[in-house]
Amino acid sequence: MTAAQARPAGRLSHAPLLGMALFIASESIFFMTIVVAFIALRPAGLATAKQELEFTKTLIFSLFLFASSGTMTIAERRRDRDGWVWLVVTGILGLVFLTGQGLEYVRLLSTGISPAAGMFGTTFFTLTGLHGLHVLVGLAAITGLTIASLARRGRVTAVGWETVAWYWHFVDGVWVVVFSVVYIGTLIG
Amino acid sequence: MRPPAEAIGALALIVTAIAFVIFLGVEAALLYSAWRFRASRVPGLAPQITGNRTLEIVWTGIPLLILVVVFVLMTGTMREIGTSVAGGSTPAQMKVLAVGAQWWWEYRYPTSGGDVIVANELHIPVNTPVDVDLETADVVHSFWVPEISGKTDMIPGKTNHLRLYAAHTGTYSGQCAEFCGVEHAWMRITVVADAQGDFDRWLQAQARPRGDASAGAQGEKVFMSNLCVSCHAIRGTDAKGEAGPDLTHVGGRTTLGAGVLTNTPQNMRAWLADPQKYKPGSLMPRVPLSDADLDALVTYLEGLK
Amino acid sequence: MSATTVPTTTTAPTLWVRRPAGAKWAGWLRTVDHKEIGVLYMGMALLFFVFGGLTALTIRVQLAVPENHLVDPAIYDQIFTIHGVTMIFLVAIPVLVGFMNYMVPLMIGARDVAFPRLNALSFWLSFLGGLLVYFSFIAGGGPDAGWFAYPPLSGHTYSTGQGLDYYILGLAVNGAGTIVGAVNIAVTILLMRCPGMSISRLPLFVWMTLVTSFLILAAYPALSAALVMLFVDRHLGAHFFDANAGGDPLIWQHAFWFFGHPEVYIVILPAFGMISEVIPVFSGKPIFGYRFVAASSVAIGFLSMSVWAHHMFAVGMSDAENLFFSGASMLIAVPTGVKVLNWTATMIGGRLRFTTSMLWATGFIATFVMGGLTGVSLAIVPIDWFVTDSYYVVAHMHYVLFGGVVFGVFAGLYYWFPKMTGRLLSERLGKWHFWLTFVGFHMTFLPQHWLGIEGMARRMWTYPASTGWGTLNMLSSIGAGVMTIGTLIFVWNLLVSLRSGQLAGDDPWDAFTLEWTTSSPPVPENYLTVPVATSRRPLWDRKHPDMKDPS
Ligand code: HEA
Ligand code: HEA
Ligand code: HEC
Ligand code: CUA
Ligand SMILES: [Cu+2]
Repeated sequence: MTAAQARPAGRLSHAPLLGMALFIASESIFFMTIVVAFIALRPAGLATAKQELEFTKTLIFSLFLFASSGTMTIAERRRDRDGWVWLVVTGILGLVFLTGQGLEYVRLLSTGISPAAGMFGTTFFTLTGLHGLHVLVGLAAITGLTIASLARRGRVTAVGWETVAWYWHFVDGVWVVVFSVVYIGTLIG
Repeated sequence: MRPPAEAIGALALIVTAIAFVIFLGVEAALLYSAWRFRASRVPGLAPQITGNRTLEIVWTGIPLLILVVVFVLMTGTMREIGTSVAGGSTPAQMKVLAVGAQWWWEYRYPTSGGDVIVANELHIPVNTPVDVDLETADVVHSFWVPEISGKTDMIPGKTNHLRLYAAHTGTYSGQCAEFCGVEHAWMRITVVADAQGDFDRWLQAQARPRGDASAGAQGEKVFMSNLCVSCHAIRGTDAKGEAGPDLTHVGGRTTLGAGVLTNTPQNMRAWLADPQKYKPGSLMPRVPLSDADLDALVTYLEGLK
Repeated sequence: MSATTVPTTTTAPTLWVRRPAGAKWAGWLRTVDHKEIGVLYMGMALLFFVFGGLTALTIRVQLAVPENHLVDPAIYDQIFTIHGVTMIFLVAIPVLVGFMNYMVPLMIGARDVAFPRLNALSFWLSFLGGLLVYFSFIAGGGPDAGWFAYPPLSGHTYSTGQGLDYYILGLAVNGAGTIVGAVNIAVTILLMRCPGMSISRLPLFVWMTLVTSFLILAAYPALSAALVMLFVDRHLGAHFFDANAGGDPLIWQHAFWFFGHPEVYIVILPAFGMISEVIPVFSGKPIFGYRFVAASSVAIGFLSMSVWAHHMFAVGMSDAENLFFSGASMLIAVPTGVKVLNWTATMIGGRLRFTTSMLWATGFIATFVMGGLTGVSLAIVPIDWFVTDSYYVVAHMHYVLFGGVVFGVFAGLYYWFPKMTGRLLSERLGKWHFWLTFVGFHMTFLPQHWLGIEGMARRMWTYPASTGWGTLNMLSSIGAGVMTIGTLIFVWNLLVSLRSGQLAGDDPWDAFTLEWTTSSPPVPENYLTVPVATSRRPLWDRKHPDMKDPS
């Protein structure tokens, strides 16, 4: 028996998932650091935040992102059949969310709110921008998975699907925190 | 009360003694086994011992106990040396504001007639607890005069507090301790502890605008017609610059450039001719001056006692 | 089953791994083999150690005499900054990650790490990050705000060059590589152990590697986040650290040390692990208190996440905060003490063979204890108020970093070099290397304790002659010279032994763990047949069937 043949296949096939879990844990600390900075600096930007943030609009766009976690789960369940369709739906929902973010950025920037303009701009753009970047990475992963699942029908493993799904749920979960801190926090602060 | 540095020293002595015992213990065990158990003295296999639970508990417990004791001692010292702001045990009898700037110091004494501003030489009365408020004009600095204080940082946007206490008259030197840029090394601190009477006289003198400058009238003209005036203040004249140290009584200081030169006429001349030579990177530029102007300036500035 | 699945190898042992005959140098660029990547990491560390060492020497030359104008202050600032950055990020971490990469799969009986291609990516990111930091010197000036780059000094107002930008970029890229690498190693340890290798039989080096990997995952992201904030401050005009606009420079300090303190345990734990392998083997005895040594690593891991602000006692925190961080820092002495005492107890009653590796390990304990004890004194708030940011801290950190990490790495290197190359390092040169370095080390850093107490702040490009610090500084500089001779002997030893060192055989040290059961250097997939861990000391069991390890 060679070493190669003796790999304990059961355990090992879960490696990507475990790797993703650890990576997500690490990413959480990254966001935690920025969120703590946001909270610490919040008083200095609160007035502007109250004036400039559009709660309802963003809430609606957020719903698209939250929904995409649901479609991702469906995609996973149906991976042997039409899962790829649901992946596309997930991607579109994510894109809609990003568009919402983009619109908000354009509006803020056109009223002169930028990272340089004050503490609100500094913290808002950094936190939401970093989240947006992660959504982009998630979209890239979903695109990759879609293509792979079409090109190699049925050969992308369940673990592969799950790994991408976990990352996407994470990105979604981060938004729950960011939305609470930035938008709900402003509303009640 | 005793100077904070002395209280810290007493605590450090105890800690050092404990540490030394632990240190010696470990080193002795190493040396002993290196000698006693070297291969040539042990025939055959060593006994295959895998551990001992009781021992483990003992050497987890004892250090823990030692540390608890040290912790308790520490809180005592902290209470003793704290500023009155930070809940210290003795109230301060005097307050002064120290502002760090790249790479010199400004001190402000609050008095009934407004703040008295001096630079680079802090005077305090002897045997008196003094609370220093610490602020910075630019980056982080740290105030440290080893013999009479611990150290505390000066952080932008924040006022920190430090207790000074000198038990003897004399000059104490210290050092900016937080890296603050090119000339961090030459951001030396000079603290002069005076008898109370001397201190009061000194402070009154510092409060006055510059005295009779007839001897330096020529130098004053040079000063006012050159760049100097845009950076330095000399109370009683039109010079109101804030970028550099207040020079109203510069002639009476013991050092120049926050400790880089002792204050003598020759050194003053050398400094003015080219500060960058002695303190490369200093924010005071070389101002091109004729020899005659330099001489006049030296006479003028050294006359500002 | 058969050896036919193993590619033809050269018969004589060659470097690092039995490579297919005719393999090209370009192979190093494409390799995804954990052993070769391990060697790449070590090569990277060695390369940067030259720069780290040369900058250290420049510092010591400049400080040898008071009021020395040899090195311009602006240059001096870049030199100590790059010295710190290099030694921590580009020497200590890579050399340790190199050993983890090389040894962990071997020690747990795996054929590679979990994600070999990701592993290569990690290395190249780390290396690229290092190159980016160094590129600043070509681009017009290195970073000059110290290795912890406190704003506002590191902000755009006071640091106008591009040095800090390369620092940010380089460390971010380097950190990404380190994080990905830690994921890889952790998954490998958790999922790829050979039959019989239960968690309670893991070699201690693997144990501590596992804890280190988790610490990396927990700590490095805080650095990345801090770097991002500094970056947007510098380039988008943001105000995170700008007190005039409501920002707070202390946020950087908290974020940096939230990373920075665990970082020092990230580098010491693998070194602890190496010591925990070397000492039992050369004491001819199992480690004393395996479970306690392993568990104390976990305790250290947790505690180290809650002590970061002991680097900030002087910033004016509340008494409550100071006391909390002080107490937590003191607590770390307990699990660390457990380790030190267990190593010592392993030696007592053993049969000690003082090979060069064992000398380094013993020197490690002797020296590290002292660095640890000064660490505890720094954890005591009023004492820290006195000596923080002075040469006392410089002395502390070198006692633990050099006397700890570097001594540990040398112990590991003299131990595993024969496994990696098939050849022994010269013991004669090794002993010279050890004694010169040991003596030079203490000569360099012992006097610095007094300098700190007498008032010498760190990061001073020069000091007044009137202070009387000249003598101790001169002594310190001479010590650095002695260490340099030691290091040169080491480099010589490395070169000579690689070419013509004595052939080692599979198990030159009469060792205990799995990696010594395969060939030296190991075959491409490490083992011809899947090894089985019969106990904590599988090789011992084979050699002493009558008195098997009970674990
Ligand atoms: C390998 C790296 C390493 C290690 C292991 C340590 C270990 C420790 N360090 Fe150190 N430290 C650094 C690297 C390290 N440090 C660096 C690089 C800096 C400077 C950073 C900078 O500013 O640039 C620093 C700075 C530093 C400071 C801040 C100083 C300042 O800037 O003001 C403090 C303060 O608390 C501290 C504390 C400690 C403590 C309590 C330990 C403990 O873990 C030590 C525990 C070990 C022992 C105590 C010895 C063995 C124990 C026994 C034998 C049991 C009995 C002991 C007792 C009862 C006490 N360290
Ligand atoms: C692992 C970490 C590590 C290591 C190994 C070292 C090693 C050394 N360090 Fe370093 N040091 C730090 C980490 C480390 N340092 C850190 C983090 C700082 C803080 C930086 C900051 O403040 O921001 C610091 C700061 C620091 C200072 C304080 C500077 C200041 O505050 O102004 C000093 C001063 O003496 C110093 C000295 C030395 C010396 C003499 C060595 C020696 O032990 C070095 C020995 C090595 C050699 C002597 C090798 C010589 C080179 C060769 C032989 C190569 C030649 C070969 C070829 C050309 C092929 N270091
Ligand atoms: C651009 C600003 C600037 C200009 C112009 C300038 N100075 Fe200065 N000066 C400084 C600064 C800043 C310092 C503190 C330097 C240091 O210690 O690093 C200083 C220090 C001094 C000192 C030493 C003060 C002390 O207490 O140590 C003297 C004296 C002095 N300046 C005189 C002059 C004279 C005379 C001129 C004109 C010829 C002049 N300066 C022009 C900024 C300036
Ligand atoms: Cu001011 Cu250092
Ligand atoms: Cu620390």
